[in-house]
Amino acid sequence: MMIHSRNDRRPPSGPKRRRTPVGSALAALAVLVATGCTSGAPALAPGTNSIRDVPVKQGGSLVIGAEQEPDCADWISTCAGSIWGTYLMQAQTIPQVFKVVQQGNTWVPVASDLMAATPTTSVADGRQTITYTLNPAAVWSDGQPITSADLKYTALQIRDGKDVFTQTGYDLIDSVATPDPRTAVVTLKSPYANWRQLFGADYGVLPAHLLDGKDRNALMKNGYTFSGGPWKIASWVRGTSVTLVPNERYWGPKPHLDKVTFQFTTDTAAEFQAFASGQLDALYPTPQLDVLSQINSLGGSANMQVETRTGNLQALWMNNSTFPFDSPAVRQALAYSIDRGAIVHKLFGSLGVAAPAQSFLSPLVSAFASEDFAGYRRDPAKVQQIMTAAGWAKNGDGIWAKDGRAAQFTIVSLAGNQSRELTEQILQSQLRQAGFKMTIKNTSAANLFGKVAPAGDFQLGLWTLTDTFPEPTLDATLASTSIPGAVEGSSGINFIRAKIPGLDELLRRVRTEVDETARIQASRQAEKLIAESVPSLPLGAVPNILLTGKGVGGPISINPVQGPFWNLAEWGLAK
Amino acid sequence: MLRYTLRRLAYSLPVMVIASFILFWAVRATFDPLAKLRQSTDPGALHRQTELLGLDRSVPEQYLLWMKAFVTGDWGTSTRTGGAVLPMIGSALEVTLQLMFWGVLFAAVIALGIGIYSAARQYSAGDYVLTGLSYVGIAMPAFWLGLVLIQVLAVWPRQQFGLSEPPLYFVGLHSVGRTGINLDYFRHLALPVVTLTVGLVASWSRFSRTAMLDALASDYVRTARAKGVPRRRILFRHALRNALAPFVTVVALDAAALVGGLVVTEQIYAIPGMGRLFLSSILAGDVFVLIPWMLVVAVAVIVFNLLADVTYALLDPRVALR
Repeated sequence: MMIHSRNDRRPPSGPKRRRTPVGSALAALAVLVATGCTSGAPALAPGTNSIRDVPVKQGGSLVIGAEQEPDCADWISTCAGSIWGTYLMQAQTIPQVFKVVQQGNTWVPVASDLMAATPTTSVADGRQTITYTLNPAAVWSDGQPITSADLKYTALQIRDGKDVFTQTGYDLIDSVATPDPRTAVVTLKSPYANWRQLFGADYGVLPAHLLDGKDRNALMKNGYTFSGGPWKIASWVRGTSVTLVPNERYWGPKPHLDKVTFQFTTDTAAEFQAFASGQLDALYPTPQLDVLSQINSLGGSANMQVETRTGNLQALWMNNSTFPFDSPAVRQALAYSIDRGAIVHKLFGSLGVAAPAQSFLSPLVSAFASEDFAGYRRDPAKVQQIMTAAGWAKNGDGIWAKDGRAAQFTIVSLAGNQSRELTEQILQSQLRQAGFKMTIKNTSAANLFGKVAPAGDFQLGLWTLTDTFPEPTLDATLASTSIPGAVEGSSGINFIRAKIPGLDELLRRVRTEVDETARIQASRQAEKLIAESVPSLPLGAVPNILLTGKGVGGPISINPVQGPFWNLAEWGLAK
Repeated sequence: MLRYTLRRLAYSLPVMVIASFILFWAVRATFDPLAKLRQSTDPGALHRQTELLGLDRSVPEQYLLWMKAFVTGDWGTSTRTGGAVLPMIGSALEVTLQLMFWGVLFAAVIALGIGIYSAARQYSAGDYVLTGLSYVGIAMPAFWLGLVLIQVLAVWPRQQFGLSEPPLYFVGLHSVGRTGINLDYFRHLALPVVTLTVGLVASWSRFSRTAMLDALASDYVRTARAKGVPRRRILFRHALRNALAPFVTVVALDAAALVGGLVVTEQIYAIPGMGRLFLSSILAGDVFVLIPWMLVVAVAVIVFNLLADVTYALLDPRVALR
């Protein structure tokens, strides 16, 4: 669970590429829409769920715009905070045990070609054992085989290391046995339902023969020469570009292209002009308001994919320990004061997104979600009823007040984010009509997620959570044990200080139940409890958009976990 | 001259010390160097880093520690990238200085030309046109001008004439895989330099016009005219030389501000210079880059001020450098 999304830096810590509050630009609204990709549309128009597949020729190169430059490439370290690092380098060079693929309308983890067989797991005496059998053909770029020692090295680096972005899951590892070079047996101290995430999207597997006994951070932070994926990092010129070339020793299908360069273009308008002028062959822009108009201006000169089943969920976060949101009645009344559907439609209606989110689980983990927030629709009569019953009355300014204190509060989000600013303005208007006075005070990502949110120094917040693996991790956001400082060493991001009776136990079951059916049941029970208490309010999911030039071919689609370039090896110049 | 320069540099030292302390204190007061660790799963991380960075000491003590390391070349490590700060700033400064060099060179020459023309033909149609254009130039924000230039000089010609590539590039200073000073470099450099130059010419041309008018209204020019000195000689030999001194001062002071002031231009054209480094560092709350960055900019201001004084003295023999 992370407080950021692809265009953000990850927050200071908190699970890497799991669920994080969105730190910067992206943060707009989207929805739990069951439609998938829009392919090949010249302008903004929702389409069908399909992968655009254009035949390609061998050779050539592409230049792709990257909105953000990663800070470092030591994926275990806290400095690897940008999800763009995953897209540009990690997904292309680091082998992972599980990959996420689309099956029907959902994304599911399946064993990657690193494995000879799907890893197996069993629980006995309260301990979980996972057995990994590696593909004998899997080798690093220097020809050395990828072995169980690599899994052991990676696991222990994360479990025992300093300055590790997140140890979630790995902190449960009791031992890693390596009976032979192709088999690793990981024993966990207690059951961990998200076990597929180990050696998966977060970290993958690192080469022990190159890193063991050395300063991993120093060797990796500025890029590295080894690879266990289809590409190798040829160069990383800070502030300018990252260039990838094929890994000739990759055991799977080799890339069609000779070279791919990711050029850092942080100004959105200039990025679009570079795309229009042919300097960039593909873009993965943040769906801000101006981006939508920019896309329209491209007309038929680009192919567009839109993925609405993303892991990005934007919500209104009410600080449950601070006036006036320490009152359940106020939280409920606020939920009935807002027309969430209107906000979502205003922001992303043109992309086919029309309904608000009804769960705190993003579309990526929709299998575990329910629709319990659907009952919260704008209903002024209900607001009146709830507030009056709780002893509130409107003052001379038409604002609810109780014991001499008016229901006025401040919302905090990220300064300069157009979608959020528009959302705030709509909220301000809707809440004023319902008798609440809201002021806006936005700040920088570093301040919001580094200071304000962890310290609980806010009343109402607007930010996005990002799920980057199809496993529910609500415990990090809403369990009382995840309140920062609640437990020593806690990495939780329950910034709203929610304490819902009975929820911790349900979320513990979601976290530890290995049986999928029982886990889904527990998750839905938890969702019901959350909706009843309304600790905060989900607004909508944020869609992802990928633009490619007419000359780019291959099976092009967006993977919500590994990003838009997850199958870059299959891209090429269109025939 | 050398003695004067050395003395000025010596005078600058206490200014630098005071400035650096104020900067250090201000950045420490507004940014939390440990923000990234606040949610760390490692309970000892915060404590270890606090000790390592000396954050448990008083601000003056912290400053002394930092300054001691700074003067010995240890500018610290970026919390954002984990890389050494000195080469990071060095590389960004090199890029910005390239942009500044061409921008200031073209802007100074053009602004001076406009100033001479406007002063020599005061209240003529040409003077009015150039004055009007200079106000337009001053009013145009760099981000807007940059995007318009990209559209008009790069995107539009490619689309209009069906070119395989735009005549001018606008992403970075080189195409992928290219380095050095060559045609590719200048095709990348043209648009950012024009963006920078337009703003500078707009304000500098006003200044050079005024300076030239002042000079032309002087007694010595009137005397020269009375003596029958040719108009051209009066303009370039007598008036221009006197007008240059204040003009150079303004150029030097503005150039100093450019060292850290090209944020928008560098952002639009994806140029990894000082402005972009500042932006990414401030967004990440990277205090270990911000403090030396500000100090480098402060040094630039002092150096360019000194340059202005020295040039002033060279241009005007009446000014004695003591």
